[in-house]
Amino acid sequence: MSLELRRLNKLILPLQQGPDLTLGQFLKAVEECCPQTAYAVKLRLHEMADGELKDMEYFFSTLPTPFSAFDSEAYKTSVVGLFMRHMLLAYNKLSFSQVYKLYKSLQHYYHSHYAKPTDGQVSLPVLVADDSDMDLTSTEDTVGDRIDREELDTPLHESELRLVMLRGPLSQKQAEYFLAKQAYLLKNDENKALKPAALQEELNNMLKFNPDFAEAHYLNYLNSMRVQDIFLSAHSLLHYFDRLILSGSEGKSNGDEGYGRSLRYAALNLASLHCRFGHYQQADLALQEAIRIAQESNDHVCLQHCLSWLYTLEQMKGSDSTVLTEDSVKMAAHFCLPYLASLGIQSLVQQGATQGKTAHKLMDALKDTDILHWKHSLSELIEISLAQTTSIWRMFGKSTMALQQAQLLLNMSSLEPVNFGVQQNNTEAFAVALCHLAELHAEQGLYCAVSEILQHLKEQFPPHSHHAKLWMLCDLKIQFERHMNEGKYHLAEPLVTAISALNKTEGLYRKAQVLKALNRSTEAYSILQRLQVHCEKTKRTEVVIRVMLSTAELHWESSGFSTALPLLLQALALARQHHLQSLASETILHLAFTQLMLGIPERALSVLHEAIEPVLAHGSLMDKGRALLLTARCQMAVAGFRPNGQAQADLHLVVLAIDTLNEATAYFSKLNCKERLRDVHYLQAQLHRSLGQTSQCNKSAMLFRLLDQELQSPAPPVSMRL
Amino acid sequence: MAALCSEFGDLVQIKKQLISVISLCKERGLLHSAKWASELAFALDPLPKNELPPSPPFTEEDAQDLDALTLAKSYFDLKEYDRAAYFLKGCCSQKAYFLYMYSRYLSGEKKKDDETVDSLGPLEKGQVRNEALRELRVELSKKHTAGELDGFTLYLYGVVLRKLDLLKEAVEVFVEAIHTLPLHWGAWLELSNLVTNIEMLKSLSLPDCWIKDFFMAHMYTELQMIKEALQKYQNLIEAGFSKSTYIISQIAVAYHNIRDIDQALALFNELREQDPYRIDNMDTFSNLLYVKSMKPELSYLAHNLVEIDKYRVETCCVIGNYYSLRSQHEKAALYFQRALKLNPRCLGAWTLMGHEYMEMKNTSAAIQAYRHAIEVNKRDYRAWYGLGQTYEILKMPFYCLYYYRKAHQLRPNDSRMLVALGESYEKLSQQLEAKKCYWRAYSVGDVEKMALLKLAKLHEQLNESDDAAQCYMLYIQDIFSCGEQLEHAEVSTALRYLGQYYFKNKLYDEASLCAQRCCDYNDAREEGKALLRQISQVRDQIETPSADLFAPLSNNNTPVRRVSPLNLISFTP
Repeated sequence: MSLELRRLNKLILPLQQGPDLTLGQFLKAVEECCPQTAYAVKLRLHEMADGELKDMEYFFSTLPTPFSAFDSEAYKTSVVGLFMRHMLLAYNKLSFSQVYKLYKSLQHYYHSHYAKPTDGQVSLPVLVADDSDMDLTSTEDTVGDRIDREELDTPLHESELRLVMLRGPLSQKQAEYFLAKQAYLLKNDENKALKPAALQEELNNMLKFNPDFAEAHYLNYLNSMRVQDIFLSAHSLLHYFDRLILSGSEGKSNGDEGYGRSLRYAALNLASLHCRFGHYQQADLALQEAIRIAQESNDHVCLQHCLSWLYTLEQMKGSDSTVLTEDSVKMAAHFCLPYLASLGIQSLVQQGATQGKTAHKLMDALKDTDILHWKHSLSELIEISLAQTTSIWRMFGKSTMALQQAQLLLNMSSLEPVNFGVQQNNTEAFAVALCHLAELHAEQGLYCAVSEILQHLKEQFPPHSHHAKLWMLCDLKIQFERHMNEGKYHLAEPLVTAISALNKTEGLYRKAQVLKALNRSTEAYSILQRLQVHCEKTKRTEVVIRVMLSTAELHWESSGFSTALPLLLQALALARQHHLQSLASETILHLAFTQLMLGIPERALSVLHEAIEPVLAHGSLMDKGRALLLTARCQMAVAGFRPNGQAQADLHLVVLAIDTLNEATAYFSKLNCKERLRDVHYLQAQLHRSLGQTSQCNKSAMLFRLLDQELQSPAPPVSMRL
Repeated sequence: MAALCSEFGDLVQIKKQLISVISLCKERGLLHSAKWASELAFALDPLPKNELPPSPPFTEEDAQDLDALTLAKSYFDLKEYDRAAYFLKGCCSQKAYFLYMYSRYLSGEKKKDDETVDSLGPLEKGQVRNEALRELRVELSKKHTAGELDGFTLYLYGVVLRKLDLLKEAVEVFVEAIHTLPLHWGAWLELSNLVTNIEMLKSLSLPDCWIKDFFMAHMYTELQMIKEALQKYQNLIEAGFSKSTYIISQIAVAYHNIRDIDQALALFNELREQDPYRIDNMDTFSNLLYVKSMKPELSYLAHNLVEIDKYRVETCCVIGNYYSLRSQHEKAALYFQRALKLNPRCLGAWTLMGHEYMEMKNTSAAIQAYRHAIEVNKRDYRAWYGLGQTYEILKMPFYCLYYYRKAHQLRPNDSRMLVALGESYEKLSQQLEAKKCYWRAYSVGDVEKMALLKLAKLHEQLNESDDAAQCYMLYIQDIFSCGEQLEHAEVSTALRYLGQYYFKNKLYDEASLCAQRCCDYNDAREEGKALLRQISQVRDQIETPSADLFAPLSNNNTPVRRVSPLNLISFTP
């Protein structure tokens, strides 16, 4: 018995503070605690609902008065007592007609449970739910909207029926709950929220009954943002703030609270709206306005928000905003706004990373903010921080670390209370981490895993959503790389257009690569030149280095090895300066190859030794294979090996080269990179022959022959590429 | 035009139709339609006795229901709708059925209104609904699919649909109702409320009846296509409806909409002479008087209306305007509130109340009032404009742009919105946009004559002196051509600038002309004199050296290109 009492007591608070329940839900909840009480409640309700008005009046008169019943649960200081005092006060204030309406709504509430609908109505549990008999505060507002659903048994179209159904009013609490839930879902897991059109309909319906419901306008704004509707979202946003100004104005002056405050934030929100739609000039103007009003009323917090938007805007416009960001961080720290401060730091880290700050500085900064995040449980920022670390590790070419960080983020359970069955948040941070994960797997040739990750991304971030572009680009890039590795240039070519649509620079670079592969060097060269100029202007170092490498490769094709050298050295310097390890090692590979071609294989081998370690540790399969192939060739050259076998070669080195080639074979075959495999087999056959191992030689020769037939295209001179 | 005339040629026929429809409407308690038709019929010449239309055929069913109908109608007239509906239940004639449904509808509406007035003030939005609507809709839709509805019941069905916000269906039903019974003005009027733009209007298939012209004219007024509306009304007058007070009032409203105040005032005065106890449209009249600041006339009108009926929305609006003109804004707001209590969907009152709150510097209440106005009618440009002004007062020029743009969208040819837009752009230092707005405002016919002046000042700021001078010139021409004296006219500023401009460009004759004109204005007198002195100085300097050597040629040597009329005396060719 005491256990039941305990469970009932625990139920009281959720019932009182939670959203309104249907009778069914309510009874079930009570039944789980105490079947006896549930039965009593049912009986009481039945008595009242099937009786007359006097039965309800009788119920109220029999209630224990909270002021006299000292030993009952309903004493005035208890939770129930407080609630009952509220209820009785509200009840006593009702006029006769209102009491009658209350009774009517009670009846309706009761009967709607027993006359359970059979058709589509079940799919909308939140909407079918009606006022609970307890919710006296809302009675006055909504009882007028009651519908007799029984009347509806006439044949109507399904759509009409739905429409009429949707007319059903929500009580204030239900509406708030609905809005809060949808807003939460929109933020955290958009897929679980109602579809944009359906949500719009709900909101329209809600607003029709209560146009003053400002929050609904705000949700409307969020919903319109989802479908990129500038017109409607601006309209809703302004409407929301118009309404908010009304509700905030009661008895408050133009000070910190009240409508002066909402005015500032109205302008700020407008700025963010324009910013999101890429109207930078408009955003700028709105932001100026917000800043001015905030300054006039000395609102530092709002000013801080403005400042962080200002540097975001500057960043989006592509100008340098480091100073602004630093200021923002300082001020935010001063005003104790941890969120803004660490957001600023994160933004600084991002800028620092592109501007070649050292890794340890960036990591230190992130670590410091992380402490702040955990202290204030800013889960959103923790996610961003992890995603950022992933990106930074990847940029610096430490794929293992990147992998680890991405996994960390994905496996982290959210700090926010997980509601409504949301498993994973669909924030940008998750999208970024997942994209990195996909690319990292692709680099290792694990295409099966990649497609799984992409599938997940597609489900989590449907194509219309805000962050869908991230995975779209990632998907295209992976496909492109794959086709290029497999030598299917004709398949890679159409992807270039798609990539260009998402990212112009990337698209141009890919285009140059395809052209280069198709031996259209002149066109490729002109594109690369243009790209280099553009990227140097916008300070995109990574692309600049990659462009330089591609240009060097073009030089090779015309045997301009000595002209390629200064380019490569320049690239190497840049890569080292920005601590871009993967690019640096790739540059070294290029450099070694050039040296090999220039006839100084010893030098090449020593340079290679420097790069081989990081490549094997962090590089992609392709890089590993290429590095090993190059090493083998250097070894052969150092050994004084000649294809015709005239000169006496250093046998020890030749054996070493065979080993290296075997290893490379493993990598290339994993990637299905047939052209390079062909080269490898060719070299292997020669080496085996020089060692007199005829059977192995024959085997390699056969493999070479098979691949050569399959590829059909005439083999380019083995020596001419990396 | 010719077709129209021939259509209206048979005024006698029209009159007959009107008379018959009046009795039909009366029998069914459709008072407003009956009133409209009667007013129109009154404007036509009376018919001789033998020409009077016969009363409609009396069917067996009608005879059966006669007693119940008579009883119910009397209850209905006494506003006992439920009682009327009760006694009509089971009647099978069309007339009885309509009255039955109509009573139920009105009963629901009445209860709804009672509840609204009961608990909620005008500033709170009620959630009260007419409960009968859905039942009515279900029944009517059944009958509708069976094709058993006549013109009046179709109209009622449309009204029910509209009240349930099923607008698309409502439009269809109203069109059907009009086709069945073209003479019922109420259906046309309901339809006009649902037509939102000209394309929609064109896409409707309307019956070819003389009443269509009234509808089109009404629609044009609603859609702010005043020129077309006026043309239509003119045609109607020429066709023989010249005595109709309805048409006169509509024309007056149309003139009011294009802000041709004098014309509108004249028409309203005529209207009041013909129909001294009229209350309809008097709020518009008071708006005009307000704009013209005609205090005594407005006060007279207010008194007069209070004597006729003080519990009318129009009366309250007139009184509100009256107080507003006397700068008693609290009282004005009070009366607008009262108007809203009488009719919460009264659009004008919401907007006017917003204006009053603006005057009282209660911006949040003003925003609320304007938002309500927009809720009632999204096309209310004054409310959008008011919202813009509110935010402008709150010093949010970028924010208010949105609202001004909305207003401008609704009234593309209204200079006030354009000027407001221009001012906002100017505040945002978007001079290019501002210039465009001002120029456009001038091009569409500037009401307040401010656009050019602002444009000139803008040019002046941007050091585009030629453009500035040209604008000032145009401004001065504009001001003097319109004849009347404007309070805020800044002719002196323009003259001052022009004087300096000519002086700098060494056009001394023009400069001195401007300077002299400057002296006519108090605020510019000193500068005018100073400029005159400067001019004479410079002239002396130029003319002294040349006087000795090239005395005969001096006139050709001076940089004066054109000869100023002021110099005529000394000038010898």
